[in-house]
Amino acid sequence: MEKSFILHMLTTAKNLSPFDVNMALDAGWVSAVPYTNVEASEVKDLVQDVIFSRSAKALKRTAIFIGGRDTKQATDMLKTAKNAMFSPFEVSVFADPSGAFTTAAGMVAAVESELDKKFNATLKGKTLLALGGTGPVGQASAVLAAQAGANVRIIGRQLDKAQRIADLCNDEFGEGKINIQAGTNADIADYIKTAEVVFATGAAGIELLNAEHIASAAQLKVAADINAVPPSGIVGLDAFDNGKEIAGNPNGAVGLGALAIGNIKYKTQSQLLKQMIDNDKPVYLHFEHAFEVARQIVKSTK
Amino acid sequence: MPKRSILHMFDPMPNNSPFDINMALDTGFDVLMPYSNVKLESIHGLTQDAIFSRSPSGIKRTSLFIGGRDMGLAMDMMNAAKQAMFPPFQISVLADPSGAFTTAAALVACVEKQLKEKHNKELKDCKALVFGGTGPVGIATGVIASLAGADTCLVDHMSIDTANDAAKEYNRRCQSTLSGAMAGSDEEKSALIAEAEIIFCTAKAGIQVLSADVLAHAKQLKVAGDVNAVPPAGIAGIGSNDASIALASPVGAIGIGALAIGNIKYKVQHKLLELCLSSEKPVYLDFREAFSEAQKIV
Repeated sequence: MEKSFILHMLTTAKNLSPFDVNMALDAGWVSAVPYTNVEASEVKDLVQDVIFSRSAKALKRTAIFIGGRDTKQATDMLKTAKNAMFSPFEVSVFADPSGAFTTAAGMVAAVESELDKKFNATLKGKTLLALGGTGPVGQASAVLAAQAGANVRIIGRQLDKAQRIADLCNDEFGEGKINIQAGTNADIADYIKTAEVVFATGAAGIELLNAEHIASAAQLKVAADINAVPPSGIVGLDAFDNGKEIAGNPNGAVGLGALAIGNIKYKTQSQLLKQMIDNDKPVYLHFEHAFEVARQIVKSTK
Repeated sequence: MPKRSILHMFDPMPNNSPFDINMALDTGFDVLMPYSNVKLESIHGLTQDAIFSRSPSGIKRTSLFIGGRDMGLAMDMMNAAKQAMFPPFQISVLADPSGAFTTAAALVACVEKQLKEKHNKELKDCKALVFGGTGPVGIATGVIASLAGADTCLVDHMSIDTANDAAKEYNRRCQSTLSGAMAGSDEEKSALIAEAEIIFCTAKAGIQVLSADVLAHAKQLKVAGDVNAVPPAGIAGIGSNDASIALASPVGAIGIGALAIGNIKYKVQHKLLELCLSSEKPVYLDFREAFSEAQKIV
């Protein structure tokens, strides 16, 4: 009998997200096994228990998913998992805490595509504001945009926290090769005048850009908002918007809403889960891989 | 490939009940996913995560089960899950905390059948007592019997306040008309059962609640049902396999034992899970649907 496909799903949280469970099962994993309240120090032993209990052939039908809510923790767990393995006892690992990596990838890829379509431009050199940018999606999207050459500023409610997150993004996720700045909500009115791209990744129900901001955003080209619950984070931007012009903006900026982004996110997560089934060699997947896949998806649907 | 059926099992306790897991797999769900220590506040987010990640065809193959030990919490969780959904993102939900809804439904349906067959009476003509009436099965039994029209009283063995509080809370939640009573000693029990026509026994396993001597005081008793399968039986004279046994005293009274009731409970839970699995439209199932299915089965 052929060995079954097993996905070991690790989370630091009390429970897995049913979202990830459905996605994994629909991608073709036969068994999805939950491991909850997992601590970073336990990852090595768990991973070694995964790899030493199956033959090299069966390990190709085995993988690990890392969930949770914290990007740094998930990234560290991914590294720990990778380091706990050695050839031929290796399995694929995919980290997507809170779905943030695939959501960020979907958003940045969609923004890139709109920039290209409407303004014949790329992210390179663009002034970008990551509003509500201290959360998991904000962090991952800021890093992806910065790696694509944008001048990114993470905006939070408190400057010291925003600065701490910017440092984390630069040092940990960007490996010192990017230079994300920090700012606070109090200065949005100033920053927005020169912003060319805006990501809104704040908490649901909080308006980050009002009509006045939109009217004064003379350089704005694309604004994206991942909030699906009204009111949206950017006034006038609807969850269904997919490249529609934002009312009241002098520069003809276009908006991307949560459902347009969610559609790419969904396909991205599904493909990464499938990659772990299809790939002959083990793969270690995080936001950068999610972004590659999301770019392909956006290109193929153009 | 058709999408596999998934049952997400939300439970406020540290673990899901293996009873429910066996039942769900035997009904034909392809995949079960346990969620433990779930709080009421988490239900909204968990439910939305469950519905937003599958296509409309996948949604039909996705259901929620709500377990736990607390009937009120399970009902609140069911409401929270319903409120988190909207068309077309809707999936079926079955609540059966501690298996209490299906056990109580089976108990009341079995008693109702014997009442009709042996005494030509309806629940609405009868006074009913629920011993062990403040536990999950007891409360659910009381609510179902009360909503069916029986004049029903929840009996606690320690505290009148506990009994009255439970009656009041569930009258408010379920629009039932329960009362409360306390009976700890044999004297108190003898006095309380003098006018009862129905006795439900849902007390802890392995405890005899009504001895033969006490039971002799139940001059009006028509039917007694006991869900305790662990000896000694909760009501003296009723064996756990008895589907309809004539009690020694009072004359004419019928007893129903735990395994006879359990057999119906098992079929009811199976049927409800099957409805979640096969229904084209989402269904929301609690003690009410459990009782109407139990009535059909008996």
